[in-house]
Amino acid sequence: MNQFVTLLANGVSLGCIDALIALGFVVVFKATRVVNFAHGSLVLLGAYVIGRVHENLGFAGAVLLSVAVTAVVAALVGAVLLRRVRLAEPGTLAVVTLGVDIVLATDLTRRIGTDLLTTGDPWGAKVVTIGTVHIPQTRVAAAVVAVVLVVAFLSVLRFTDWGVALRAAAERQETASLMGIRPGRVAAAAWMLAGGLAATAGLFFTAFPSPGISGSVGQAALGVAVPAAVLGGLDSTTGALVGGLAVGLTATFVAGYQDQLSFLGRGFGGVAPYLVMLLVLLVRPAGLFGGKETTRV
Amino acid sequence: MHRRVLALATALCLTLAGCSKAKSTDQESGGVKTGPGVTDSAIKLGVLVDLTAVFAGLSKSLVQGSDLFWSQQNAAGGVCGRKVEVVVKDHRYDPQVAVSLYRELSGSVLAMQTVLGSPVMTALRPSIDQDNMFTGFAGWSASVLGDERIVLLGTTYDVEAISGLDYLMREKGIKAGDKVGHVYFEGDFGENALRGSEYLAKQAGLTIVGQKIKASDSDMSAQVAAFRAAGVKAILVSAGPTQTASVAGVAASVGLAVPIVANGPGFTPQLLDTPAGPALKANLYVVSSMAPPALDSDAAQQLQTAFAKQYPDAPPTQVGSLFGYTQARVTKEVLQKACDNKDLTRQGMLDALHSLSNVDTGGLVAGPLDYTKPQQPPTRAVYISKVDASAPGGLVPVGAPVEAEAAKTYQPAG
Amino acid sequence: MSRPVRLALGAVAVLLALAAPLSLTSFWLQTGLFVMASAVGAIGLTLLVGVTGQLSLGQAFFVAVGAYGYAFLASDRAGAGERVVYGAGWPPPLAAAGAVLLAGLAGVLFSPIASRLRGIYLGLASLGLVFLGQHILTNASSVTGGFNGRDAAPFRLFGFSFTATNPDVVVLGVPYGALERLWYLGLALLALSWWYARNLVRGRPGRAMAGIRDSEVAAAVMGVDVRRYKAGAFTVSSAYAGLAGVLFAVAYGRIVPDSFGLLMSIDLLAIVIIGGLGSVAGAVAGAVLVTALPLVLSHYSGALPFLAQPGEDGIGAAEAARMLYGAAIVAVLLFAPGGLAQLVRRTPSTKEQDHAQTSTGAGDSALPDPGRV
Repeated sequence: MNQFVTLLANGVSLGCIDALIALGFVVVFKATRVVNFAHGSLVLLGAYVIGRVHENLGFAGAVLLSVAVTAVVAALVGAVLLRRVRLAEPGTLAVVTLGVDIVLATDLTRRIGTDLLTTGDPWGAKVVTIGTVHIPQTRVAAAVVAVVLVVAFLSVLRFTDWGVALRAAAERQETASLMGIRPGRVAAAAWMLAGGLAATAGLFFTAFPSPGISGSVGQAALGVAVPAAVLGGLDSTTGALVGGLAVGLTATFVAGYQDQLSFLGRGFGGVAPYLVMLLVLLVRPAGLFGGKETTRV
Repeated sequence: MHRRVLALATALCLTLAGCSKAKSTDQESGGVKTGPGVTDSAIKLGVLVDLTAVFAGLSKSLVQGSDLFWSQQNAAGGVCGRKVEVVVKDHRYDPQVAVSLYRELSGSVLAMQTVLGSPVMTALRPSIDQDNMFTGFAGWSASVLGDERIVLLGTTYDVEAISGLDYLMREKGIKAGDKVGHVYFEGDFGENALRGSEYLAKQAGLTIVGQKIKASDSDMSAQVAAFRAAGVKAILVSAGPTQTASVAGVAASVGLAVPIVANGPGFTPQLLDTPAGPALKANLYVVSSMAPPALDSDAAQQLQTAFAKQYPDAPPTQVGSLFGYTQARVTKEVLQKACDNKDLTRQGMLDALHSLSNVDTGGLVAGPLDYTKPQQPPTRAVYISKVDASAPGGLVPVGAPVEAEAAKTYQPAG
Repeated sequence: MSRPVRLALGAVAVLLALAAPLSLTSFWLQTGLFVMASAVGAIGLTLLVGVTGQLSLGQAFFVAVGAYGYAFLASDRAGAGERVVYGAGWPPPLAAAGAVLLAGLAGVLFSPIASRLRGIYLGLASLGLVFLGQHILTNASSVTGGFNGRDAAPFRLFGFSFTATNPDVVVLGVPYGALERLWYLGLALLALSWWYARNLVRGRPGRAMAGIRDSEVAAAVMGVDVRRYKAGAFTVSSAYAGLAGVLFAVAYGRIVPDSFGLLMSIDLLAIVIIGGLGSVAGAVAGAVLVTALPLVLSHYSGALPFLAQPGEDGIGAAEAARMLYGAAIVAVLLFAPGGLAQLVRRTPSTKEQDHAQTSTGAGDSALPDPGRV
């Protein structure tokens, strides 16, 4: 029972980070219909900037700079793609982001080299203890930040002009353009937002209990983003949250009960989210909350 | 248009004819039989490592160690009157890429000084056998034992695991009936180590609680939660440095203050600056045939001084720079022996290797290395080291190299 | 280009391909075989993505089924005890055919998902297959050999062995070893794949599939059984992947699970998109670019003086090659969104161009298309 509660707490807090990663991935898709394979590298970039500058700027300054840098880089990627967004189809743009991912990941891996950067966050390895359950403070912070960001994001989506524009563009691009919405601006803002979210997620993804920032962070982040976003529904922000939580919980529980689940083959924890994703898609082809692609002639 | 096609075709034909097939046959020069990659003035060796993917950091460190050795050796006249040139290629930890690069290298080098990675080595084995290539392995998996062309430096992971548990039982109060957690990578490294830990557990009446992970897993919270629920008295880590740090950090934070033993590849000094640093200093031991860089021996001290001079910003690492340096050094011994036999061919290299029963590395590797029995690891001795942030490389040895009783009779196998 | 010129160029290319083993070193032969295997897989994928508009990132899984299927069916049982690896010991051609069928069957099994999803959803869902596949490959060690993989029996055809000996072959003074012989096997399989795909695209099924790509509803109205064709396309492309797997297995002699990961899937998708969706020739050209470019770059980048030596700080040859590769993907697609095939076709008239663009709106056909209604 104790183990169950421990795993539940771990799973939920990990799920919050996964949700942040997935949210950035979904925002770009919702606004531009581009599957951004470079999202993992953006997470890595965010973490890298924090790791490099926190000693000089302090933790808060490093986080702000990192969010800014990552947002700008994401916007640049978006701007390059946007020039072609109306000419090419989504598959092509996805492969372009793949190219971007290779360049970014290779360069960041080279820059990190033999170092193992840390985030320099104030929580360190401290834990919060409730009864017999221990949760790292970083994870509590991650959960709080995730909730705040998500509430903020949903309110923006609901109440601001940009939010309405994004929803309209996502709903039907042509009509939205006719109504005077500039898809370019909406998309640019979405990319920046995704970059900011990626940097925030990168902070918590690499903070304790993870050991620090290494080159493999990008791939790991993408490996979380894809099942989380797809099982929630690629164009649904709610879906990203639910998907992120589902991925975090699945991975944690399957790893925690590895002994009891050994008939599935050992080390199933990393694969389980994908299996859950496939099962969900069998029942709901557009994910849990994905907009059904209506067919019109 | 037709003319252009014709011209193009001619050009292509000429290009094809131009790169005629290089024949890698043995020749003779100056009374010494020479193989591919050997000229009157130079010997070429190949190195296949991962410079851009997951093991980029380790590989860079390894190449630095190797470069340091050969620059010293070449300055002192080289080997057999020839300078040694090392050709480094990046296989990105992708077995297919490695096979292609190996083909590229194999015609022009005498031997492969280093090949990094078990999956890569496995994919290369048919080609290595076909070419009769002397191949140094950056890895300690027992699955390569019995292949007389593959050269291990140190003992295998299973023997390391046995020696680590043996140390815990001798010094840290672990006794029959206790449970020991074992976090291990899927694949050669982890499963080989698990075989060792399960062997000793059976002999000594311990119970192993296994947690298999993938190289991409870096948050060990769930695994440690399972260990805590099982009530383990010690933890063995057969994984990468990031996993070691996470295990130690999480275990300490949830009040699981037990000794942790990691295989050689599970530690780098950079870990000490992470939030897990204090936990590592308190609980971590590293078991490896490679000496901790701060070892108090002439060879280790000289290496440390030279390395600090050449690469002031890079910390020396046990399985990185020290390993690269030592592997180059052992390769030199083999080259020297082959030169003495007047046979610098591939077969000559292997003959020389298998005639060496007592290679002394000045303590850089635990125990003398015996290469006359390809079925056995060249040594069964290991260094047990503990963390010391002030020492170069972050580790200091706990006593002299040890050969655990249980390891002496154990037959390693992949 | 006029037809005679194209024919002449084609003939020259075929002649060069046939003569290549006479002068190519084993590095180039190995790279060439790698390219051919990728090309076979890519042709299958371009049928799926380019012609039907279904995106798949799960291709590596089906390549693995083919490779392991061949290794299992063609090899004899090896090892003993815990480490036994079973094999059926069939004659290699039969085993190869069986492996292709097995991969096709795996495609059929996936079709409940494949026929319901479209576009990017299918692509990302099939990604799940790759991870599940890797898990199975590393765990079902009595068939797959586990993490270390297993040997694949060398190919034999009517007593002719594709190895260094048996019988010895010397052509114009060049001894024909395993790679030289496999080169021709690869060429033959590639030619077969090419021919079959072209016939498929130009025939009735091809028109039905293109109809599905342009508008599922319109195709259905025209009497095309959309679900059946989508599932069928997935099956055919899986079988192609299986054939590519067989070629991988015989070309490398040893297969390990790590080879059939996300990277291979991504490379295959990059190949068909860079080559130009739906173009069979483009898939082959893309395979050359994507598979060979990184190897060739690293082959020559060592000679560039401004790059850092391995172990030094700064951008080294390996990193430069990798980054150039990424940049090349971006550049090709930004300047020629239609891929290499578009570059060769030159500029079509504006009207054609409009049509080409609107009609490749794969996976995004929910929007009404003003240009065509």
